[in-house]
Amino acid sequence: MGKSLEKWRLIWPFFFIFFLHTAAIFLFTRGFLLTRTELSSTSSCSDLSSSPCSSDSFIDPSTNKTLHCWTKPAIDRVIIIIIDALRFDFLAPSAFFEEAKPWMDRLRVLQDLAYENGSSAKIFKAISDPPTTTLQRLKGLTTGGLPTFIDVGNSFGAPAIIEDNLIYQLAQNGKRLQMMGDDTWLPLFPNHFHKSYPFPSLNVKDLHTVDDGVIEHLLPALYDKDWDVLIAHFLGVDHAGHIFGVDSTPMLEKLDQYNEVLKEVVEILQNQSGPGGLHEHTFLLVIGDHGQTLNGDHGGGTAEEVETSLFAMSLKQLPPPISSIFDTSHCELDMDGRKMCISSVEQLDFAATVAALMGVPFPFGSIGHVNPELYALVANTWTDQGTTTITTTSKNAYCSNLELWMQQYAAVLCINSWQVKRYINQYSTSSIFGFPAEDLLQVENLYAQAQATWPNVTQKEVLLNEEMGNGTCQTKISILQAQIDAYKDFLEKVSELARSKWTQFDAMMMGIGLSILIVSLVIHLSFIKRARNQIWVIKGSNCGLIEKPHSNKVLSFMTVAVIFGLVLYAFSDQLMKSILVISAIFARNEQTFVYIVSWLVLLLAIGFLVLSWCNVGSGSDWNVDSEVNKKGSSSNHYSEKIRKECSTGEQGYSMKCMIALFLVAIRAFSLLSNSYILTEGSVARFLLATIGVLNLKEVLLEESTVLVAVSFLLLNVVLGFTGENGFSKDVTPASTSISVNVHVSDMGQFFWMLFTEVMPISVLAFLVFRSFQCTTVSSQWRILKYGFLPLVILSYILIPVYWVLESNVVAIPRITSFEKNLLPLVVYSVGFGLLLLLACCLVFERKEGTSKCTGDIHIAAITMLTAWGLVILMLLGRQGPRIALISILEGWCIIRSQKVAQKKEKLENTNNDMLYDPLPVTQWCFLAVSLFFCAGHRCTFDGLRYGAAFVGFDDFNIVRQGILLFVDTFGISHILPIFGLPLLVTFEGPYVHNKRGRAVFFSKLTQVFLIYGLISAITATFTTICVLIQRRHLMVWGLFAPKYVFDAIGLMLTDFLICLASLYYF
Amino acid sequence: MDLLTNHVWIPTIFLHPEKRSHDGTAHQDDYSVELMLSKLFESPIVILGFSLLSKKLEHCSLKWAILRGLLGLPAGALVNAFGAIVFGAPVGIKFLTRTVNWALLMSLLTVVPTASVYGSSWKDWQRLYAHSKPITPIDYAVCLPAHGAVIGAWFGAWPMPLDWDRPWQEWPICVTYGAIIGHTLGTVASFIVILLLSRQQRIKRD
Repeated sequence: MGKSLEKWRLIWPFFFIFFLHTAAIFLFTRGFLLTRTELSSTSSCSDLSSSPCSSDSFIDPSTNKTLHCWTKPAIDRVIIIIIDALRFDFLAPSAFFEEAKPWMDRLRVLQDLAYENGSSAKIFKAISDPPTTTLQRLKGLTTGGLPTFIDVGNSFGAPAIIEDNLIYQLAQNGKRLQMMGDDTWLPLFPNHFHKSYPFPSLNVKDLHTVDDGVIEHLLPALYDKDWDVLIAHFLGVDHAGHIFGVDSTPMLEKLDQYNEVLKEVVEILQNQSGPGGLHEHTFLLVIGDHGQTLNGDHGGGTAEEVETSLFAMSLKQLPPPISSIFDTSHCELDMDGRKMCISSVEQLDFAATVAALMGVPFPFGSIGHVNPELYALVANTWTDQGTTTITTTSKNAYCSNLELWMQQYAAVLCINSWQVKRYINQYSTSSIFGFPAEDLLQVENLYAQAQATWPNVTQKEVLLNEEMGNGTCQTKISILQAQIDAYKDFLEKVSELARSKWTQFDAMMMGIGLSILIVSLVIHLSFIKRARNQIWVIKGSNCGLIEKPHSNKVLSFMTVAVIFGLVLYAFSDQLMKSILVISAIFARNEQTFVYIVSWLVLLLAIGFLVLSWCNVGSGSDWNVDSEVNKKGSSSNHYSEKIRKECSTGEQGYSMKCMIALFLVAIRAFSLLSNSYILTEGSVARFLLATIGVLNLKEVLLEESTVLVAVSFLLLNVVLGFTGENGFSKDVTPASTSISVNVHVSDMGQFFWMLFTEVMPISVLAFLVFRSFQCTTVSSQWRILKYGFLPLVILSYILIPVYWVLESNVVAIPRITSFEKNLLPLVVYSVGFGLLLLLACCLVFERKEGTSKCTGDIHIAAITMLTAWGLVILMLLGRQGPRIALISILEGWCIIRSQKVAQKKEKLENTNNDMLYDPLPVTQWCFLAVSLFFCAGHRCTFDGLRYGAAFVGFDDFNIVRQGILLFVDTFGISHILPIFGLPLLVTFEGPYVHNKRGRAVFFSKLTQVFLIYGLISAITATFTTICVLIQRRHLMVWGLFAPKYVFDAIGLMLTDFLICLASLYYF
Repeated sequence: MDLLTNHVWIPTIFLHPEKRSHDGTAHQDDYSVELMLSKLFESPIVILGFSLLSKKLEHCSLKWAILRGLLGLPAGALVNAFGAIVFGAPVGIKFLTRTVNWALLMSLLTVVPTASVYGSSWKDWQRLYAHSKPITPIDYAVCLPAHGAVIGAWFGAWPMPLDWDRPWQEWPICVTYGAIIGHTLGTVASFIVILLLSRQQRIKRD
């Protein structure tokens, strides 16, 4: 009983800190990842009567009924072919780029269509808004709004879109929709489709299921009459990019395949495009939802990811004058001397444009405007009617054609502007943080200006129509042009405004979250102090652990602050809003308010940090002093002695502490800049090397350990190389550049694989074997030694066997994927079984009531690492063993050099074996960070190694695959280092069994865990501050927010694992 | 007085890369040439200077001191190049000449002076670089600038990852600047320390 109490006395800080961090991150995340308010209003046909645009032309004079809904439909049917992750240069002619790459000019069919003479097809550069993930883009394309980051979290279980959207409008207005391809569509639009052929989209290793399914249904559907809107969503390019990267054979094959399919589609359409044909009024759109980087990733806001292409084709000939509308600013000549132009279009405008073309109401929340060039592609619909009624000279035809089109377009823009204005009005009344008043006023003015001239246009239209043919068409066109420009100004201003202001943040929540986080740092520090004080007391009084009255006014103050914050939160929205209103009055706007709050808290916390840091020496002295005095012993000289010891110990501690603190501070501050976040792995390795060099300098006296320090540096180099190579995709034979080598030297590759993959794993297995063998084992661990060791070794053999099977280097006939998948399953179960057994050991031991000796913890740590290591190795793939070996060796180097440093210090000063110096832990932590990056991970969602989720499984299950992906992502950087932390202490000296030795040992262990936690917490805090400062930054959704999410999850995982480990080890 | 001689070259290095940094691409190679030239001029000065110094100190032959310095040059370059790679310097044929040039320069700043003064006396090396405990004025003259150069180079690497797209962010340039600045500061510091030391001695003598 007393033992467990003692245990809890040691480990309760971990749980307290875990709780604090969770609360802080929860609050900050709630404030930071707030979405734009989604309005559930929808547009309907009848709304238009309240707009100023409903002119007479909308009403049929004979029947007095509206002819059409909002706009005059220009097309009857539309085919939307979506190619996931279609880079701009997949479709655009290579003449637009400096250098022709193998993946360019593959979709020849579309290029030829767009650039043949008099074509009514056009290629656009489509610009999407980040986050560039499929779900967000589909939302953006259909709602015409700006989806926000929070949706990324919902990306796996996409809920239905509640906002008004294009698909809803189409379905509502009697259009029959057919969908085939990516099954992301269905949960978004659960019952809008007339017919649908969904295919599973989440298995990225599968390049063909979706595409083959789409092709199978697309071509027959083109002959059917039972649809008005056909959506075909191809996924192959996206998956090929994720798995192999852009420059790879599968990617080129995919593009060629699409070329063939599109050729067939176009042929079918053209064959039936004659008058009265099935596709007379059909419009073909081939669009990409987002781009991708050369590495095949997407999600962020870089040009490569944001730029995608759009191909639009009307099956009718374009009347010549309309082409003057087209933007000819970006033109190049190709090799045949054809003039090719590409203009750009915002994906934001897609919903409005398609709605206008189809003649359905614009989605309520759409803020895009109808794109003139896309609208011009179908100009024929109106000019046809024009030419039949007016038979005049060619010049007049020119005028009237253009004029008719412009009239149409101006009318559409009028409706468009009215709809956007309506949305903005409703939005600002229904959301607490609407748009800033001055911006709203400006928008209002622009709209009023544009609207003021609208009656002029309509009246003049009438006038001019009467005196038709008088050669005034030029003036008329210029009037129309002015009107169109006025609307355009308004619409552009709105979208600009929306873009800049839409991600709104809850300042209060963020402030509270951040302050709790910073407060937790101070508390963390005081816990470390507490653990160290305990050691001194042990040393002085030699009577086990004594809980001492803690001097910390700081601590109590901070706790009060935290409680205050939580209470504030508990009073929830009402209080929050009123405070916000008050603060908004004082601070003019929320942004400055957040700045003030955050900087105040920051300054306060830094002040306290410094204060408590300065207090360390004197405070502890006082503590020990009072402790000894309280005991009332006569040993005055004794207290004197302790004080001396303490102060000397203090100095040794502070020096190293300062170095560690300095390095951690560098790393933390580096997170405030986007460049350093991008190169975080290199920064971590740089700092690791710095510690290595400092160690080398320190141990330069003993030759034997010089070797250790130098080998640490060497390993660091190797780690760096591995990291650089780790960036390329895992499956090597697929890349075009490497595939050549494979064919040339199959045998050579085999040996290379033997060397780089089999060798490390056998060394690993040997190490595990040895470490089990040579530890002195107490009774309950004997089961482990003899029962599980063979199983572990077996798993180590199975892992490379699986890779050999995967890579197809050795052709083994008749092996099904099930049999192949059996191997990873065995490995998982061995790892899991080992973990279970460890848990059993824990319970068993608890019952037996024997006290743990440090040797036990040593072997417990090794067993734990082995159990986790198996699974993580399996998931990491073929580069795994190399990285694991390097990390083990580096860890060993850290332990060794730490031992030497301690020996040296012991010589100088007998007191120091009691303190734990933070430098090795810092080194351990940096090593963990660089391992994260070397294993091919990055702090972006697209950087997740999705392939790892499918090791051993072919089908997708959200929980199972999610866990595997999680373990893969955080395994080598969080799970293994934290469970391995006790090794830093256990390797330190001979195993101790006496009470005092144990007490010292556990205090040290506590310190190690606390310091590690503190370092993670400091970096996470700085990431949070960075996100707060940079939240209006261009790259916030592409770079900072994912980094924040990774760090926040990492911090909570670290805390959680430390809690687990403390339960397990203590 | 001898100490002064080995800093004559600093202005030359400072001026030239500055001048070149406007013209983009060719700059790197120019820079390497620049480094090479400066080393050509500088190495005799450093080696000679410190050899003279050591001769004055230990009454051993100038010839040997020069030889030690010459031997120290490539050895120190190796150590420095290794250090650079450990810290994440780019590796590859493209960077080979740059790294070699940089390493030779760093060797001149750090290892060569010590080598020509102390040669292979392991104890002195340990005292200077493991303990960082210089005692005599010449210790200071050798040790402080070397430490300054290394620390300066370490700080000099910081701007490299930033996305400013400046030519001087390329691999060895800002590190070299850092090293030179650090070295200069170290030299100034060593001057001051030596002056203080000599004054103390004079006081003691009085």
